[in-house]
Amino acid sequence: MRTYDSDVCIIGGGISAAMLALKLTELRPGISITVVEAGRKLMDLENRMRYRQRSIEYAENPWPGDFIEDQSAKGIISRTMALGGSALHWGGTCNRFSEEDLRLQSMYGLGVDWPIEWKELEKFYCEAERRLGVSGEPSPLPDDWRSEPYPMSAMVMTHNLKELKAWAEKSGIPFWSTPQAKNTRPYDGRAECIRCNTCSICPTGARYSPDFTFKRLMERKSFTLHDQTLVRKLLLDDTKPAVALARAVHRERPDEPVEYRAPVFVLASGYCWSPHLLLLSQCPRFPNGLANRSGLVGRYMCGHAFISAMIEIDARIYPGMNEQHGLISRQFFRCKPGDPFVRHDLRIWESAAGHEPRLRGSDGRVLLGDALLADWRQRAQRGTARVRGYYDAHPDRESALTLDATTRNRWGDSMPNIQHKLDAATQARQQFTTDHFQQLFQRLSKANNGKILSTSQGNYLDHPAGGCRMGTDPSSSVTDSFGQTHDHDNLFVVGSPTLPNAGCTNGTLTFAALTLRSAERIASRFRGAA
Amino acid sequence: MRRRTLLRWVAPLAAAARFPGVRAWAQTVTFPGGHDDTLVALAEIVLPSEIGPAGIREIARRFETWVRDYRPGAEMDHGYGFTRIRNKPQSPAPAYLRQLDSIRPALLHGDAASRRQAVEAALEDAKIADLPRTPDGRHIAADLMTFYFRGSDANDLCYRSSIGRDLCRGLKGSDNPPAPLSGKGAR
Repeated sequence: MRTYDSDVCIIGGGISAAMLALKLTELRPGISITVVEAGRKLMDLENRMRYRQRSIEYAENPWPGDFIEDQSAKGIISRTMALGGSALHWGGTCNRFSEEDLRLQSMYGLGVDWPIEWKELEKFYCEAERRLGVSGEPSPLPDDWRSEPYPMSAMVMTHNLKELKAWAEKSGIPFWSTPQAKNTRPYDGRAECIRCNTCSICPTGARYSPDFTFKRLMERKSFTLHDQTLVRKLLLDDTKPAVALARAVHRERPDEPVEYRAPVFVLASGYCWSPHLLLLSQCPRFPNGLANRSGLVGRYMCGHAFISAMIEIDARIYPGMNEQHGLISRQFFRCKPGDPFVRHDLRIWESAAGHEPRLRGSDGRVLLGDALLADWRQRAQRGTARVRGYYDAHPDRESALTLDATTRNRWGDSMPNIQHKLDAATQARQQFTTDHFQQLFQRLSKANNGKILSTSQGNYLDHPAGGCRMGTDPSSSVTDSFGQTHDHDNLFVVGSPTLPNAGCTNGTLTFAALTLRSAERIASRFRGAA
Repeated sequence: MRRRTLLRWVAPLAAAARFPGVRAWAQTVTFPGGHDDTLVALAEIVLPSEIGPAGIREIARRFETWVRDYRPGAEMDHGYGFTRIRNKPQSPAPAYLRQLDSIRPALLHGDAASRRQAVEAALEDAKIADLPRTPDGRHIAADLMTFYFRGSDANDLCYRSSIGRDLCRGLKGSDNPPAPLSGKGAR
């Protein structure tokens, strides 16, 4: 048995782990930190232009080897399991939640309140934006106040977005540039965006991904990274309810079990694998899994639902100018108490939908060469707006991650099965929500001779979170507001699992902000150790 | 010995091999075998005349390279929403060669109308309803069209503008409409 000792053992190597480890090394440079990641480390920026090209030409995986064949879950939306996690290939969108997300119970009688004040969280949003390198344009709405400006000026609004903004604002709804973790100037040692239009594989490093942070951390002697090492179980101290060690296996040396010992353990494995590890770590003293006296580990799995529309308009749109950058309106983040509840963001992107080359004309006849081009040009005279709203949908207690005994990895561990379920109030207002969006799409399409080409309701919950929700009451939550588990003094959960609800816009910035706040609490345990 | 030179010697032998895997590999790395003229003739039918004869030959040449560099079994994209790990299927080269064999007489010896009819008939026989997102090996005519028309250059041609969708272009100037296309396709 190989044993590694450190002051803080972080399990998982995604964006939360990167933020936590970086801040801990700054606050307490003397402590030793180990990050244990089940997937591989993919730090080959020099190859990403080639991967991008292969992805464009052959639809090959632009992140080769970023998954583990037998480590999968039912109900997830991404198989990525590598150093950097899902934020290897994220779009970089960095929207904040709003105060309403933290006050659902007290303002609307829905869900639960978060055990944290907005003003407190806002400070950490600013810090997360600095660390990730966010370029953005301030919201014109007073309720979206910020205590600091964005670190970088907003991404250039392309001709296409200017056209779409002019069109959309005829509806009376203000739109502005979506904030993104993409460099509009050289920032933090990374290059300026050169508009490659493939942000899921940014070949220049202009879009933040956690591998850059880890690369920097690896230059420090006090930081250790173990990749390809799967933590299979947390074991408790014999005499107290504290985690004593994490038992793991290296994927290429399975005959040499590994143990990690630390005074503090942090789960930073995301909404799926953090609760999964807690459930797998069941023992006689905690037969339902660690940190699970409340029975809520793996419960209240959440995410936001979404509705989309393609709207064709009279506008000169040139598809491909910068498809990854869009407009946002936060006009609908707030809902007056007493009004029918609906909260959502509203986003607009350029699109080629309805105006792509096609093999057959309207009469079904095959189009070749010049005929195909003529048909395409004729249809491309109008532009298309892709419109989408993420809306607030609240989880039921039975929205659950459970262990699936029928699916096991090569080590025999049951794999997770996530089945989302929305609470009764969310289900009851679904028709109202759908009608609201239909009216909104109609309102937008009145301008510029607009025509709704299609609408669609998402069939999954995006930006999933939950499974270890935070709260003040140990009987109705798994962790406190810092991610410290109620049941184990030295065990923390950071990032997405701690969210009681997933808001109505992208969650990554919130995961990072909460993690940075947790870092201060974790660092405080080492006062004097620096 | 350079890789190309080695392939020139080895591949024809392998193409005649009994083992299908070896034969498919050889057909891939030597694509289009003796069908250079057939492929160009097909390109003349399915690509727009606006790019000119040299442009058409260039696209045919790029398509050959695309086939030769195809990697059967390579991991496919599995980003958000695609939780199934998939791999690229076998090389389309053997099927392409059979299809080129089949339409070669019409393409090389027919008049313009009969060449077009032969391609249309082949697409109907293959039950191709629309252009695939990326070439999928069902029929070379559809795949050659996808290769070109779904690419960045065709997007520019359609809009007669230098959009450069698949290029890395910098942020400067992107707040203006893209510059008009110069050369072929410009109006």
